[in-house]
Amino acid sequence: MRSNLIYVIFATVLLMAGILVAICLADTVPNASGSAHAQFNGMQAGGDGAARLEHIGGLAFAFQALLLLLIICLAALGVAEERRSTEFWAYMGGTLLVSFFVWWQMYSGHQAFLETGVTSYFMGFPVATAWQVYGTWLGAIPLIILYTVGFRKFIFTEEDEQKYEKLLENIAKKSEQ
Amino acid sequence: MEAYRQEIIIGAVIIYMVFCVITGLWAMRRTKNSSDFFIAGRGLGPIVVSLALFSSTLSGFGFVGGPGLVYSIGVSSFWMIVISSTGYALGFFLVAKRIRMIADVRNCISLPDVLAARYNSEAVRFLIAVTIVLGVMGYLATQILAMAVVMQAILSGTVMFADIGLVTCVVISSAVLIFYCVTGGIIASVYTDVVQGAIMMIAGALILLTAMSVFDGGMQEATSIILADDGEAMMPFGAAGIMASLGWFFVFGLGLAGQPHLVTKMMMNRSISDNRVILPMSLFGYVMAALLWVSIGVIMRAAVIDGVIEPLALPDDAASLFLSIFTNPLLAGIVFAGLFAAIMSTSDAFLNIGTAAIIHDIPKAIQGHAIQNELFWARIVTVILAIVAASFALYSHFEDATLVAILGAFGWATFAASIFPVLAIGLNWKGATAMGAVAAIVSALLINFIIQLAGIVLPYGILGGLIAFIVSLVLFIGVSLVTKKPELDADMEAVLNI
Repeated sequence: MRSNLIYVIFATVLLMAGILVAICLADTVPNASGSAHAQFNGMQAGGDGAARLEHIGGLAFAFQALLLLLIICLAALGVAEERRSTEFWAYMGGTLLVSFFVWWQMYSGHQAFLETGVTSYFMGFPVATAWQVYGTWLGAIPLIILYTVGFRKFIFTEEDEQKYEKLLENIAKKSEQ
Repeated sequence: MEAYRQEIIIGAVIIYMVFCVITGLWAMRRTKNSSDFFIAGRGLGPIVVSLALFSSTLSGFGFVGGPGLVYSIGVSSFWMIVISSTGYALGFFLVAKRIRMIADVRNCISLPDVLAARYNSEAVRFLIAVTIVLGVMGYLATQILAMAVVMQAILSGTVMFADIGLVTCVVISSAVLIFYCVTGGIIASVYTDVVQGAIMMIAGALILLTAMSVFDGGMQEATSIILADDGEAMMPFGAAGIMASLGWFFVFGLGLAGQPHLVTKMMMNRSISDNRVILPMSLFGYVMAALLWVSIGVIMRAAVIDGVIEPLALPDDAASLFLSIFTNPLLAGIVFAGLFAAIMSTSDAFLNIGTAAIIHDIPKAIQGHAIQNELFWARIVTVILAIVAASFALYSHFEDATLVAILGAFGWATFAASIFPVLAIGLNWKGATAMGAVAAIVSALLINFIIQLAGIVLPYGILGGLIAFIVSLVLFIGVSLVTKKPELDADMEAVLNI
């Protein structure tokens, strides 16, 4: 799988580059990245959210989805090839689905607000923003659990540690000679 | 107590600075050689490394610029911090284990040392060292200036120091920084980081509680005020829009594993197995401290819109005004000490890696060996580097800000674009080549420089740093795939197999 993984990463990055080019070539709208607030100096306002997403909404959605895939692939690259078992890939697949779900909830919640102009709140924030704040922050917990709880199974096993100590011993012996 | 607000704040800052000086003197006795000076002899425990790691991540930018950004562009700036959990995780998955192994196997004391060993290339060492020196100058200058501006704001509120000048404040703050960095090297730096980190966490938690009490309806009332004024500012992509937000998510998330002052800390732990607890502890500390960023920014924007307070002269005034209006003097004292802690913990890390690049890596890349008596020269260069950065900060403040702005481009985004592919992917893919690494570093530097110098504005708020990062990744993998697979030394082969 190792030989394929770097190609998956490469293809993902190339697709993201292509999307960036497409966004650069898309029709622009005024104040797409905000404008000065009409009343308060130093503040920026977003203005018409629907207009800002009109030409690039789908592209931006795909860009973020690819970025989430890239994050999972990169994390997998950090695990030795022989430890990437079916169980490991199932876990990483589940983690990716959680990330996609959070991203979809955030994006669709924003779209719903743009259509209706109303929103409910969760723990102090509008729902779409709450998905961003809490969902994104907590969305990495599966990766952190894999690293901390699965450290001796996936990251640095007893066998790895023995190999590493042996390597250090050999280097020490060579330097003594 | 309110009558003594300024005295309490000054007292808290003085206590903190005295602590830094004492720590420097204590650490001096433990610093015997350049390995102790630069990487603490690879003997630090997990709590020390965790606190040092997160407190170096959150600089003065996080305490001053962060709330200012929320005030200015709303939720867009949240993307820089909500990615931290993924960023830390990726940093540990990709870097923490192997950087520590290579440091051990090749006795490395700096990031360029590690990369030169990985790619068996002095060109890679040289380019990374130059990138670090350029970035450090820009970062250090802005940190020192921020520290002096805050000190001036605090002291000028008293009768005795009402007319204190910025130059005096630069001298006082730099003197403390230089003292503990020169005497105790990285050992002083990381142990001050422990206290700095603790102060930042306490400050973050207390500020959140204070912020939630400003409006009767708590945080929800504040966010609904912002939403009613401008819906986009309080929605997930904020005023700056979706591409700026996702760009920050990319650059700050993946880029964390490319920050030299952070990954160098991953070389300092006593045992590789400690990484399993360092990751969650660092992240917990960062999240606690970052609460300040989110809560102050939201409350200040809502308070201005609602007419509770007057509009701010500058967005960066958000944190200091919040402290003077809404907090009691003791909390303000803790947070101001926390602010100095945030600035100093990042500055000392940059001083350390900048000095290593100058006295260790660049000479090694050019003449093939390190200079004699590294510890002595490390102390001398630390002083010179800090003085040059302080002078540079003053020059930019009084005469011409262009140079600092240009070097400012060598900030987080440039480190991310030039170092992440070479380090984070290179340590986990045996097919990575020195040619690929050189292409990635050079392209990242050039693109960031050109976009900054030419003042290029990309559509939809796309960040120049994002373009540089993606081009760098494409070139690193693409060039490595088409160039000859390298013959790795036996020890590197063994490390990359584990």
